[in-house]
Amino acid sequence: MPRPSTFLRALAAVCLVGVAADALRREEAGPVDPVSVAWAGLAALGFQPIGEPELVLEADQPLAWSLERSRPGEDGVRLARSEGGALRQRVRFSGGGEVVVTAGGLLWSVRRPVPTDPGPDPFPLQAQERLEESLRALVGDPSAWNLVRVESWRESGSLWYRARFAGGPGELPPGWRREVEIERAGSTVVAWKQAVHPLGTDVGVVMGRIAELRVLRRPALAAIALAVIGLVLAGAEAHAFHQRIGLGRGAAAGIVAAALAWLARAPSAEAVGMAIVCALAAALRPIWTSVPKRRFAAGAPFGALLFLGLASLPLLVQRLGGWMPMTPASTVDLSPQHLLGTSWFPAVAEEPVLRGAFPGLAAPVFGWWGGALIGAVVGALLHPLPSVPLVAGLGRELLVQLGMVGACRVGGVGAAILARGTCEALLRRPLYPSGLVWDLVALAPLAVGVVLLLRERRAA
Amino acid sequence: MVFVAGAVGAALLVPVTPSRTRLAHAPTLAAARAEREVPGLGLGWGKLRGWNVVEDGWLLTWQPTHGAWLVRAWVPDGPGDVRWRLDAAPWLPGARLSRTAAAGRIGHGQSEVVARERLGRRDWQGGERRLVGALDAGGALPQVPPVGGAPWAAAFAGLLLAGALARTAFPGVISRGWRSMSLWATLAGVALLPVSLPLAARSMTVGVRPWVAELALVATGATVLVALAVGAYRLPAKSGCPPLAWAGSALAAGLLAGRLHAPDWLVNVAGLSWRPGVWIVTAILGGWLAGMAGEGLRELLEPVYRVRAVILAALAAFATWTAGAWLGPVVAVVLAAGGERGHSSWLATAAMWGWVVGAVIESCGWVSPLRDALLVLGLGVASLAAARGPADGGRDEPA
Repeated sequence: MPRPSTFLRALAAVCLVGVAADALRREEAGPVDPVSVAWAGLAALGFQPIGEPELVLEADQPLAWSLERSRPGEDGVRLARSEGGALRQRVRFSGGGEVVVTAGGLLWSVRRPVPTDPGPDPFPLQAQERLEESLRALVGDPSAWNLVRVESWRESGSLWYRARFAGGPGELPPGWRREVEIERAGSTVVAWKQAVHPLGTDVGVVMGRIAELRVLRRPALAAIALAVIGLVLAGAEAHAFHQRIGLGRGAAAGIVAAALAWLARAPSAEAVGMAIVCALAAALRPIWTSVPKRRFAAGAPFGALLFLGLASLPLLVQRLGGWMPMTPASTVDLSPQHLLGTSWFPAVAEEPVLRGAFPGLAAPVFGWWGGALIGAVVGALLHPLPSVPLVAGLGRELLVQLGMVGACRVGGVGAAILARGTCEALLRRPLYPSGLVWDLVALAPLAVGVVLLLRERRAA
Repeated sequence: MVFVAGAVGAALLVPVTPSRTRLAHAPTLAAARAEREVPGLGLGWGKLRGWNVVEDGWLLTWQPTHGAWLVRAWVPDGPGDVRWRLDAAPWLPGARLSRTAAAGRIGHGQSEVVARERLGRRDWQGGERRLVGALDAGGALPQVPPVGGAPWAAAFAGLLLAGALARTAFPGVISRGWRSMSLWATLAGVALLPVSLPLAARSMTVGVRPWVAELALVATGATVLVALAVGAYRLPAKSGCPPLAWAGSALAAGLLAGRLHAPDWLVNVAGLSWRPGVWIVTAILGGWLAGMAGEGLRELLEPVYRVRAVILAALAAFATWTAGAWLGPVVAVVLAAGGERGHSSWLATAAMWGWVVGAVIESCGWVSPLRDALLVLGLGVASLAAARGPADGGRDEPA
């Protein structure tokens, strides 16, 4: 008759495998190859680009989340990646030509080099007709667009025209406007670009929430600053009374945190600050007797369960009449290293402080649970997503933090780090392209979790 | 007791050249004047959220509940024009005026106005005058000056660290009375946070709802106070009570320091209705901190023990010219460092108590804070008299 703990371990292992399968199923197709779209866009203007393409990611996060809020569910996410133009890639060819492609593969703007002979200038009476012809060749629904303004000037021997066409909302939410601008030199279309003018109040809600969350982050930063003072004092006290301090462990933790911050392209001040705090917390861990014992195997199942809960939370909030973004904040880099950095930097840098230092410092006055709850509240204010009502986003982060408190109680700070990294990697995976390397980065913690569970069973 | 009364009386009456002119009106009166004199802006001002004393006047802030705009007005304490300014969130829709219309509305030439495109409107700036869409948005306001005295603040922080290490490394008989008083003061501080929100008017931001900004402030304040409570529990003052004459002299020295350099934030506190509570909490917690910093300074000066008095006197004299708003805490630290280890919190708290009262007496000219300040001063003198002798007798415990 197997023992209950064996059942639990087997259940956790099955759960991890199930979550891995579910994560692979959820994975989106990712952006289409922007270079081929850029080639096609430039070819439509009669230009064959040469040289290596340089890709730059661009994201208008308030615009993307405004679209998600105005069109709840997957529709909003799709709009932000396509007609909304909120998530884009800029492709620059070294031999000339620049194209912006949305994450969904839609051409957003094209600019080709001016040819040495742009062709004859149109007769002024025919200029408008020529510009409207150009528009028909570039957009899918030409009847929805009206010419609102034409400017002309003479430059380098050619007559230039710039026309601005206004479209209705199209597939965008009511009250939003689209705009297309076309530039012609002689008889050659040199550039065209799209723009979206959102409804101010739609964007205002999201921008307001983002600003409010930035303000709410201040108490958390104040608490971390105070914790650093406490750590310095605790370290001095430990040194004065000849207690054991893990200097090597602290240095290692700080270096790992700094390396992950570098991979995640975190701002240097944040990277250095968090690496130092993490190093201090890890170095002083031996003096905190209230920290639970190590059982790393508990980490991955906690992280996987939390991922399942968080993935379904936006839909639940929508059913209750609120709003929460379906996607986390957009990424600035699509490489697997970046996925590794953004997933594990918060885990390695924050968990030793929130789950180690806070309970360790506050335990003499508030007990372990009191300190852990203070750490959870502080952590909940660090990275919340905007939501309507605001409390929903804060509640989501508090749920994450309480999950980490649970993981720490069962398996120690190491388990909390593993749980946080697992959860973050699974949540961020859809932002990156399809591919085995990205899958390996996102699902490796689950595999590690299964191995740890099996090893623990053998040891038992 | 006669000596204390004489010292306090002398500190109150000795003529000084204060760092600022005395304000004659409360901020609420200034707000009423602004609401009366500023022309209608075309939108609601919302509630008065707070005030700051700036250049012999009050800088007042109003914001509606939705937080989409912010109205600020600077009201001079005496005669003069009320200056005002409207700031609106960049996403708020409005008109897109032409250059001609904007120049005509602002009253400048067309070449002097500059447009700024917003999401749903166009703003214009011409000289100091501004338009938000088509609404007149006022002009520039005097800026709240920075607190200053950064070297003194850094020195205070360093001495605090040294004091904390000293209290850890040199355990003695701790004072249960001081420990419980510090803990009660932090608790009172947390309770007073919601009524102290007008002090944080600068934190009100366009686009952020006032309740969120206020929640962040209360949370930050509560975090700091909880940390102070943990610090007061772990690092309490040592047992001991200085002679009444010393404590009275510290009170008088603090009083004089407050009269010489009144920090702006203490003048802002005078506008609150719960000001005596805030002053007392400030004096007790400030006294505990300054006492600890004083102990740190005392230990740092241990190698030059014989010339300690000379160094401390020179430091106090130097601070009188350079410390500005930090003069009160510096005086408290110097006095705490000059006394015995068990006297530091008494002396520092007496100095901080006098500093708070002196600052209010010298910089506020309307009746209610003056009355409250004299009451608080009387309470301080009475507390010193009552504590004469072994204040913590029979209630101390070894660390």
